[in-house]
Amino acid sequence: MFSFTTEQQTMHISDITIGGQPGQYPTVLFGGLFFSGQPNFPKAKQQLTTMLSLSKKTGIPTIPDFFIRKEEVIEQILDFIQTTLPQTHPFSVDIIEPSIKIKTLEALASRNLLKRTIYNSIHIGIKEEEQEALRRFTPEMVILVAFNPKDKSPDGKIEVIENSAYLLDKGLLELTKDLGFTNILIDTAALAPGDNSGAAIAAIPVIKEEYGLPTGCAIHNVVEKSTWLQQYPSAKKFVDAASNMTIPLFGGDYAIFGPLHQAELVIPIIAWQDILLSEYVEEYFGIQPSETHPRRKLG
Amino acid sequence: MNNHRIATSVIGSYPVSINNMDFMSRYFTQKEINWNIYISSAVQDMTQAGIDIVADGQTRDPFIQLFTRKLKGCRIRDRTEIHEPIEYVQPITITDQQFARSLLSSQSQLKGVLTGPYTLTKSCVDLFYHNEKELAFAFAHALHQEAQALLPFVDFISIDEPFFVNECPEYAKELLLTITKGLSCPTLLHACGDIVPVIPALLEMPVDILSHEFKASPHLLNAFKEYSFPHHFCVGAVRSDSTEVEPVQEIVDHVKKACDLFEDKILQISPDCGQRLLPRTVAYQKLQHLVQAGRIING
Repeated sequence: MFSFTTEQQTMHISDITIGGQPGQYPTVLFGGLFFSGQPNFPKAKQQLTTMLSLSKKTGIPTIPDFFIRKEEVIEQILDFIQTTLPQTHPFSVDIIEPSIKIKTLEALASRNLLKRTIYNSIHIGIKEEEQEALRRFTPEMVILVAFNPKDKSPDGKIEVIENSAYLLDKGLLELTKDLGFTNILIDTAALAPGDNSGAAIAAIPVIKEEYGLPTGCAIHNVVEKSTWLQQYPSAKKFVDAASNMTIPLFGGDYAIFGPLHQAELVIPIIAWQDILLSEYVEEYFGIQPSETHPRRKLG
Repeated sequence: MNNHRIATSVIGSYPVSINNMDFMSRYFTQKEINWNIYISSAVQDMTQAGIDIVADGQTRDPFIQLFTRKLKGCRIRDRTEIHEPIEYVQPITITDQQFARSLLSSQSQLKGVLTGPYTLTKSCVDLFYHNEKELAFAFAHALHQEAQALLPFVDFISIDEPFFVNECPEYAKELLLTITKGLSCPTLLHACGDIVPVIPALLEMPVDILSHEFKASPHLLNAFKEYSFPHHFCVGAVRSDSTEVEPVQEIVDHVKKACDLFEDKILQISPDCGQRLLPRTVAYQKLQHLVQAGRIING
């Protein structure tokens, strides 16, 4: 195990802390809902209940990641968030289409939800209209996706953070700070197998050492796109869940683990990993686990 | 006027509208990035304007990163850092040139463009060699390999050395010879800006054609009067640093002045420099006017 030589920042939203040295805080898990674009609220409510219960039991903080694919579901999803999630619990909004991002920001502001919102995400596709909306309605936290279409290696991810690979007129990190964000998470942009997929994991310690910012990724995307894994259908969901272990093992702070129904597998796996990791780093580096760390939940 | 025909040409870079959101959509759906649309856009503008000798447009990157991105030993940060020995491990511009060639009719010719070793050296942060000359020659050896790989696809190879305007090092001739030695196609040296102080050194360079910014710096014509020149010339005839589109007659008059001095040593007329920073419509109109002027001059 290792510890970073640069100061590691921690970011806070509601009562969840993300970042720090390996083993200091538990790995935060983001579970996705409504990927198809059509929300199934009763099913989602059930899955959220399970996730929150496991989170409480293990000490692994969890955050639902709401996919919003259509403008007409924005209000319904925000209603669901306000009526189903605990009052101060954070959530992320995961939106691709810039116009829906802007409408959602307006709706979040009108409901006073920005303090609980993680904006997923800022990337090189950002346009002036979205920047303007973010200046007016700034969520509490943001995920910066370090995808570099010119270079998919860890160095390429650093480049896009530094100078947007010359695709924007400033670096993504500087841009994100200029928009008013202070709580910034870096997503190392996992790619399909055969397309430098390992770089998303390899980049985690590189970026944390360079910037000290909380870093993670959606390694689930790699599993999802694997045609090789299709030969082993009964193993796929276990591989999917277990792949998330590589994130804390490489010093990462959070994992976007895919569909929320995987929570029952992923949460205990990550809690177990965090416990072992904490033991290693305390022994070697003297890093104490936080008060709510899964290791504190051991009998 | 002389009987020989003057060809119209470009220096290298050309403006294209990069669609960053398309890159991100491809990331979210895990599809391959397609850069050929940008190369097509640049090459089609050049051929539709009627340019005889086109380039691939250098659309992927600024001219330094275009090369340092693919050379081993370089690490792109705010400026490129040299952290290991420079090594040519993969083709740099070959795929793009091959694609550009596939877009051309048999009447068009293609210019391969190399960013010069001295300019690369001066633009990078040397964390390894700690010796400017050694680094410059390391780049030159790598560029020679790229030049050889370009030969099957291009009709000319141009070496772009804008840093020669500030200082032409005493080893400049040997440096360029490292690249051009044994090449079977005509070679150019493009050095823009006010090159008056380095004209004697430039006239020693082991290339076939000298290419300079004669339109923005018309006094260069007077300066060249002082010398006899073994080289042929590519005369900059429209400005690259101004959005004002020069009238055709103005270009004709300018080139005629150059013809009075260089006579049949003028082989090409071109923009003063790469056109990357111009709006696309302006860049295109300048090329159209250049072509019309060329037709008048050639009679």
